[in-house]
Amino acid sequence: MNKPIKPREPRVSQYGIDPKFVKKRIAEYDGFTSLMLRDLFEDTPDVIYPSNRGIEAVEEEVRKSLEKVDMSMIKPEDSVNVCASHHGFTILGGEPYAVLLKVIRDVIEERTGTSNIRLRAGVGLRFRETEEYIKAFGLDKHYKNKAKGVAPIDEGIPIETEIGTLYGIKAIYDADWIVHAHNSDVREVHFHRQVDRAVKPFGMSYARIETRSTYHQNLGPRAANFTARSIFASDFVQSKFAFASFLDMSPVGVVGVDSDNDLYSLNDRLTINGCKYYGKIMTLLGEIDECIVGLDFPCPVPYVFAAGVIYANFTGANVDLYDLDEDLVPYTWYTEAFYGHNGPILENTPPVNPAIKMVVHNYAWTGYPSAFFSREAPTIVVGREQADHFNMDPQNLEYMTHSTIADNLDIAMEFAYNVTGTDKVIVFDGAAGGLNVSENLAKLLVEKAPEVNERVNKELLPKWLKQRGIDPKEVL
Amino acid sequence: MRLVTLKARIDDDACIGCGTCVKVCPTLAIHMEDRLAVIDYEKCTGCGNCEQRCPVSAIKLERREEPKKLYVDPSKVDRKKIKELCKKANFNPEQILCYCTETRAEEIAAAIILGAKTPEELSLLTGIRTGCGVECIQPILRLLKAAGINPKPPEGGWQWYGITPTVWDIPEEVKEKYNKRGFYFDKDVELLEKIRDKE
Repeated sequence: MNKPIKPREPRVSQYGIDPKFVKKRIAEYDGFTSLMLRDLFEDTPDVIYPSNRGIEAVEEEVRKSLEKVDMSMIKPEDSVNVCASHHGFTILGGEPYAVLLKVIRDVIEERTGTSNIRLRAGVGLRFRETEEYIKAFGLDKHYKNKAKGVAPIDEGIPIETEIGTLYGIKAIYDADWIVHAHNSDVREVHFHRQVDRAVKPFGMSYARIETRSTYHQNLGPRAANFTARSIFASDFVQSKFAFASFLDMSPVGVVGVDSDNDLYSLNDRLTINGCKYYGKIMTLLGEIDECIVGLDFPCPVPYVFAAGVIYANFTGANVDLYDLDEDLVPYTWYTEAFYGHNGPILENTPPVNPAIKMVVHNYAWTGYPSAFFSREAPTIVVGREQADHFNMDPQNLEYMTHSTIADNLDIAMEFAYNVTGTDKVIVFDGAAGGLNVSENLAKLLVEKAPEVNERVNKELLPKWLKQRGIDPKEVL
Repeated sequence: MRLVTLKARIDDDACIGCGTCVKVCPTLAIHMEDRLAVIDYEKCTGCGNCEQRCPVSAIKLERREEPKKLYVDPSKVDRKKIKELCKKANFNPEQILCYCTETRAEEIAAAIILGAKTPEELSLLTGIRTGCGVECIQPILRLLKAAGINPKPPEGGWQWYGITPTVWDIPEEVKEKYNKRGFYFDKDVELLEKIRDKE
């Protein structure tokens, strides 16, 4: 058995407790091991980061990737907004994404002669999150004090689309040109279902509340993904769009950098990679029969992750999240909305993954409405400080109503073992390249991996791509 | 139902009088006096929008000494009227509209039937739109529209701009153009109508 992978360090943030209160990590206990994805699935891709090439590999690949991009539309007197999103900074400690943003700025200046290049970094529901990252990674200095975090309640502008008026954040579009700098980490598969993943920020982190509400309330769990495409396809956005540059991600790290003037082509390539690289590990985690879940990462509850899979996806791992014939999956905001006073309004609504017997919340942030998770899965929160922190969050006033508190991690783990009777534990602690699990769970996953590998290759991947209208022979 | 346990407090020495907090407050609880922001604590729901957007971090959230309950009891309103209004807006009455406060369609419908005419009034009465402040503006506007009310956004504010399309509004030619890309428009209409019509 391998040693556990070192979990990501706690991060200083207004959305999390002071790191000094995170006294112990779950993967430190005896009986924990790491499972490397490469050992589970032979076709796990090689990565440029983390690798022995260091962070310089990302810089080199961004430069190489941008060589094929046309920037001739940008004139020396023009302004350019490099548009970014918070999510990129949560991947592999955030440095690869910060490097992408820095190199994009440098190359634009070198190639076009303009120095009026601004960073506009959008967020989700934590309005100051990217302000924190901008400072932490020195992006304010690199962008010569032209870097700012933008939020969905900032001043907006109307955008006329094929389906009617939607609204964007004014500061995203206040330049002659926009550059879309993102990543292909799949993250919220439960929401986007790997449909138009590369386009999604136009309906989310670059969008106003009206548009985000359209996505989550007006269109339905699959049609919602059209929100972003309708904005991106609008004459207004097309008149400003210069190019996109993405970190091409896999559950084991950065595979490469993909840049293109045609976002739809890039989207098709990334859809294939997203289904293939992430589909296998998600399907494998769906084979877990019973477990204790450990939350142990500097992100809100649904976003803590391991091996590229976020906890929110694991709460729906009892259903194939990539299968678009599944209308309601166990967790999306549509599903949550459709819980009446006495449970789901529709009888056939799939429950939150019944394999989750208990959740030990050792370290996770506020800033996302998470009461659904503690209501639907028994949750024990470590430390009074963390409980108090959740009680001070306007989005989480009910999270602790459904949770219990343990003074420390030892007590929480002992309680979870005793009550659930299982010794299978999966930890969402940001481990890179694999995931930290208890030995018995490792054995189960190793045993199931070959069958999952074959099922995804032969049956599921072709179905997923067909549902999205993508033929790999034409795209790659 | 929303139990308001927090309130915003402004540090007058740090306030630069920019007025951003006024523009993002969902209940119009803040106004400017002598270039300083002033909070009406009767209206403040402790949502944190002002605290999160103040450019000089002059606003903090603190606990209220006495929590305040915001709730409109739907059982006090004719159930038939609530159902009719929700159906017209394509909602099931029990459907949750605000994930932070677990406010359901029936409560917002009841508040509208009892006389609320704007998103701001609805927030003050029920607490909806006072958690994340992002995701629930459209259901509010849809229910108001179903009641024949077309409110105007607060003048000069950024609280909200307007109602947006629903899946029922998507033109057939758009569906035709994109149907093979995984958007499943018609199947989602079917699902949402099944939810809407479920007793």
